[in-house]
Amino acid sequence: MSKRIQHHPEAPADESTVSWRSTGQLEDSSQFRSWLEREFPRGAAEMANQQEVETSRRSFMKLMGASSALAGFGMTSCRRPESYIVPYTKSPEWVIPGKATYYASTMPRAAGAVPLVVTTFEGRPTKLAPNTLHPDADGTDAFAQASILNLYAPNRSKTILKGKKKAKRAELDALIAGLAADSSAKIGFVFGADLSPTRSRLVGELGKKFSAAKFYSYEALQAEDIAGDGVKLVADFSKADRILALDSDFTSTDPQGPVTPFFDRRKPEGKGYTKKADADGMNRLYAVEAAYSLTGGMADHRLRVAPSQVETIARAVAAKLKVPGASAPKLDANHQNWVDVLAKDLQDHAGRSLVIAGSRQSKAVRGLALAINRTLGSLGAGKPMLALQSDAAVMGCIADLKADIEAGAIDTLLLLTPSNPVFDAPADFDFGGLLGKVKTSIHLGERTDATAHAATWHIPATHYLESWSDARSARGTYSVVQPMILPLYADCVSELELLLALLDKQGKLLNGEGPEGAASPAHDAVRKTFGGDQTAWKKLLRDGFQADSSFAAATPSDMGLPAPSDVKAPGKDSLEVIFATDASILDGRYIDNGWLQEAPDPISKITWDNAALIAPKTAKALGIYDEVLKLETTFATVGPDGEGQKRTAPLIKLTVHGKSLVVPVMISFGQAENTIIIPVGYGQGINHEDDLGREPVNESHVGLVGVNRGFNVYPLRKSETPYFATGAKVELTKGRYPVALTQEHHAMYGRALAREVSTMPDARKGSFDAQLEEVSKQGVDSHVPPNVYLYKPEGSSTWDPGKDGKAQPLINDPLHQWGMAIDLTSCMGCSACTIACQAENNIPIVGKEQVAMGREMHWIRMDRYYAAQKYARDDHGQKIKDKKTGDYKKAPEWVQDNPAMVPQPVACVQCESAPCETVCPVNATVHTEDGLNAMAYNRCIGTRYCANNCPYKARRFNFFDYNKRNPLIKHNLNRGPLGKKDVGGPDHLQKNPNVTVRMRGVMEKCTYCVQRLKDAVIRQKRGQKQEALVAGKASTDMEVNTDTLRIPVDSVKAACQEACPAGAISFGNLKDGKKSEMGRAKELKRNYDLLNYIGTRPRTSYLARVKNPNPEMPDAKFIGKATINMA
Amino acid sequence: MANIFPRWTNLLPLKIAVCIGTTVAGIALAFSYYATPKTLRVGYQPSQPIPFSHKIHVDQLGLDCRYCHSFVDVAGHSNVPTGNTCWNCHQHVQRDSPKLEPLHRSMNDQHPHYDGKPIEWVRIHKSPDYVYFNHSAHVNRGISCQSCHGDVNQMEVVYQAESHSMGWCLDCHRAPEKHLRPLEEVFNFDYGDKDVARYVAEGSAVKTTEDLGKKLKEQFKVSPKTSCATCHH
Repeated sequence: MSKRIQHHPEAPADESTVSWRSTGQLEDSSQFRSWLEREFPRGAAEMANQQEVETSRRSFMKLMGASSALAGFGMTSCRRPESYIVPYTKSPEWVIPGKATYYASTMPRAAGAVPLVVTTFEGRPTKLAPNTLHPDADGTDAFAQASILNLYAPNRSKTILKGKKKAKRAELDALIAGLAADSSAKIGFVFGADLSPTRSRLVGELGKKFSAAKFYSYEALQAEDIAGDGVKLVADFSKADRILALDSDFTSTDPQGPVTPFFDRRKPEGKGYTKKADADGMNRLYAVEAAYSLTGGMADHRLRVAPSQVETIARAVAAKLKVPGASAPKLDANHQNWVDVLAKDLQDHAGRSLVIAGSRQSKAVRGLALAINRTLGSLGAGKPMLALQSDAAVMGCIADLKADIEAGAIDTLLLLTPSNPVFDAPADFDFGGLLGKVKTSIHLGERTDATAHAATWHIPATHYLESWSDARSARGTYSVVQPMILPLYADCVSELELLLALLDKQGKLLNGEGPEGAASPAHDAVRKTFGGDQTAWKKLLRDGFQADSSFAAATPSDMGLPAPSDVKAPGKDSLEVIFATDASILDGRYIDNGWLQEAPDPISKITWDNAALIAPKTAKALGIYDEVLKLETTFATVGPDGEGQKRTAPLIKLTVHGKSLVVPVMISFGQAENTIIIPVGYGQGINHEDDLGREPVNESHVGLVGVNRGFNVYPLRKSETPYFATGAKVELTKGRYPVALTQEHHAMYGRALAREVSTMPDARKGSFDAQLEEVSKQGVDSHVPPNVYLYKPEGSSTWDPGKDGKAQPLINDPLHQWGMAIDLTSCMGCSACTIACQAENNIPIVGKEQVAMGREMHWIRMDRYYAAQKYARDDHGQKIKDKKTGDYKKAPEWVQDNPAMVPQPVACVQCESAPCETVCPVNATVHTEDGLNAMAYNRCIGTRYCANNCPYKARRFNFFDYNKRNPLIKHNLNRGPLGKKDVGGPDHLQKNPNVTVRMRGVMEKCTYCVQRLKDAVIRQKRGQKQEALVAGKASTDMEVNTDTLRIPVDSVKAACQEACPAGAISFGNLKDGKKSEMGRAKELKRNYDLLNYIGTRPRTSYLARVKNPNPEMPDAKFIGKATINMA
Repeated sequence: MANIFPRWTNLLPLKIAVCIGTTVAGIALAFSYYATPKTLRVGYQPSQPIPFSHKIHVDQLGLDCRYCHSFVDVAGHSNVPTGNTCWNCHQHVQRDSPKLEPLHRSMNDQHPHYDGKPIEWVRIHKSPDYVYFNHSAHVNRGISCQSCHGDVNQMEVVYQAESHSMGWCLDCHRAPEKHLRPLEEVFNFDYGDKDVARYVAEGSAVKTTEDLGKKLKEQFKVSPKTSCATCHH
């Protein structure tokens, strides 16, 4: 029997969208072809050569012989191993073995604390979810989701260090007591940028006790207040009809207020899909930025300019809107046109339009944004931009700290900031050198990073899930930080405990559990700050926040418009370098977090490293492009650039301000010309196993996860150019660096994978409504005959009632049928779902080498497509033929160079007629009655037939025992039984007890969090008994109906759905119909099935992306056309 | 040409084949009988640190299962009592019994060997790691402890009474009526046909527990699932 090959239909002749995932694919490299056609990379399961085959057969025989001989000995002493049940001695309150307990807590953060609900099992926190009761509830991003892994990080700092050597607790106690006793001590405190009311109160007390104390606030990528001391500008997206983002990634790395309302207003049907689709309710986003950010990807109109030119655009907008004092700069005609139309749109929606400047942009740009908002009447209570007065104590900045240290005003410096100033402070501060000038420096941190090594003392810090504290969310709601567990390591101290020790008369440091089981002193301090009666306190602990406690409104000071800085636009010989916030490790603090490291960068799809990104045209001009994209060589049809374990990126030497850095370079689309983006935070420690053979340096600063990761960009960064630097030069060097990219892994092909429509009438496709109507017919879906249902539902033409007339269809649960809808309109591609899934489902990390081979285990793969419009069209929507040459007229170059970016999360779609099930030889993957495509791990023998037959490429295979064998130790995976076992490490404490930890040779995939579904259904069944008890009736007199047994509408959430800040995922019971959000979503016209024509009847469907362009914009007719076809 | 093989060797290959066949079949049979949970698990009766007698506590004193296994109807796990559950009574009753030495060590801070460490009970019923059995799902829908654990109320020393193999689970999932009871009878170890009359109208055709089980199956809409994800996830 020959292999049946699914031929994807041809694209219609008039299709002119060019879509691609990677440079290789755009150039149609042969390696990409091979990725498409193979589920598993070449060589993944084959022996390399004949000799290997021989030796392995021989050693197999040997081992078999030996083990069968040993089996005889083994059997004789075969006895059942004893295992024990160890109950508590004194039963703790609220703990029910095997049942999760949920607590409200908060993750402190500079941009506003993240309200959380923490799942704990027998006192062991395992999973974080957003606290939806909280007024600033906002989903949780990848950082928040992954922060739980920091608690269990194997390389967490555990011991007190004095001068890099292990010190005794008594020595530290003596130090603290000495400090506390000297009220004239010249102490400096460096805090993080997050707000904690208790800390603010203690700072006041410390100021009183220590007359010479000084306080500073530092985080590497911190924004200064521009509207006056402690005045915070927070966006309220629910009020914003038109939004202009000036170099601001407000949806992910640069939060400027709760972002969920923004996404609610992206949906034409409104939050929860309750209205009829209507473009008027949608907001419109304009983005001005240098390189694609996730916010830029969401934008309806996007302008690519170098970061230095953002100010010019902002000034032009201000001038057009007649902001007092703004003068119009000179712009080229294209940009001027863009600005004019934009300004008109903002003006037309005055009071409902919002301008947001990136918090890392210059003061000038942020000042301009504030002035424009003021002129538009968008500032103030009930308006899109709120000015709020925070209660933060006024603190100095790092420049003040430098001045004070040099003036000798500080003898003892306490570094409490979560940043790592020795590593990440601007290079010209020489923070390491500064620390040397202080007599005693005490670092409190979770990692033994560069600062820990440079300071004279290091104290291991507690994680926020181990300590009492409080925090303020984005709009200032008072939120409590509760410990979920005692500190894992006895020496860990929290920031508040340290401050309280200094305030204590004897200077006694109490950490963790207080004396004789009393609460930690930090608890009492937080309790004191909160005040209130016991009822209010208990409510605070239950809800996690205090209602109506947000900041009061403030009047932002008017700083006037700064003078134009007039930086020249960058050129080929004078590039602009952006020191970007990294989507995986932020400023470098998460470098030892394996989940974040392995989550692909949302834009570049690089894992475990950073690389310089450059626009294709600039790369061509600099002669780099051909190096990046070496296609076929003379000797091989596989390009050396092919994605896979041999994928490398060329190294360039980047010179800025006379300092240079050798860094790998990659092509990035939609980036402004003559700019280079490099994410910061990498390169913290190198050991002798480095791929480039770099000199080992700072090896002890990082753990196994963080060592040899990427390149350190911070030395190029100066205090006057913390965000971007101009005048950079690039030169190609010889070497190449292996990179692990995932953009071509698990590449799907087919027609109309991601679909997009525009609210603007299209000459060819008609009005918005007509386009919506067409969504389900895009691709070839209009020609597909109705699917034949494999499982024969009752009443269908293929239904066979059987001899007894009682044949049951397989998917027959009358109570629950699960389904999911993913809204591409609000999905921005941030990977929060991927990490949430990893935390919930015990998904291991596999390490850089394994990722490069395409073996990443993420159940949710975040596809990222680019799509550009190739051809110009006339008023009737037809391509324009050039009469002379006979070619079609191309779209303007600025349109082609600014492709749309479309993210699409793909996990198992739970096909009702699943191709994987029919090929499994052992029935390890079968359907459940409630419509799940289940995986019985213990039954799987690892043939991988299912993955090969999955058109969505949603299945992942455990090539090794990633959970037991640490994949980060070099060659460890290949050592088999001789390798280092990693059992009982602290990271195992994070595992979800309700999900099997898979071993080697087992296939796995998304099952809609089946453990949560089962739990919800079982909980519902208990209700029957409760009812009987309440009614006082005999159970045999009870009526049990569908309502008794069916779970309430939308009462169970999948982990991905729960985490999504954009509300893009709705999940529920299809039997609830329109009562459930998912049911309403599936009724929409823009609902479609992925690869519908294959006939798999997936339970997960997608909602087409809707763009809301401004018809007057020059590129409006090219927007909303990015339907992705891969062939 | 001389006969190399004597005549009797003609049947030798057949004999060898029969021999090997019988041996293989014997091994297979033996394996499929002896290496099953039914033989390996049933009757497992390890000695416990304290010779706790369910017979005394349940049968003679009439303690409800849930006095000690207090979360059986709310959680997936059925908990083993914490030290203070035992100590509640035994600081007064039978306090000086030498059998309670481990309890004193764990709970009685006046005891010379007090260490506050929990008692390590030897586990008898153990489902594999990849099986997620939920007690509350069963006891709240009318499946008694007795159905899976046997007559624990009569056991001086607890042993495993049923095989707990997957086939055994499925037997009941396919025909739950044999074990379904009114919710009031779940923890009653003496439940039998005599109790049925209390739950049905007089003169009803429902006489036996199985009849009642059938009725309850309809009434409670019990339709146990048999797909893999029911227990494996």
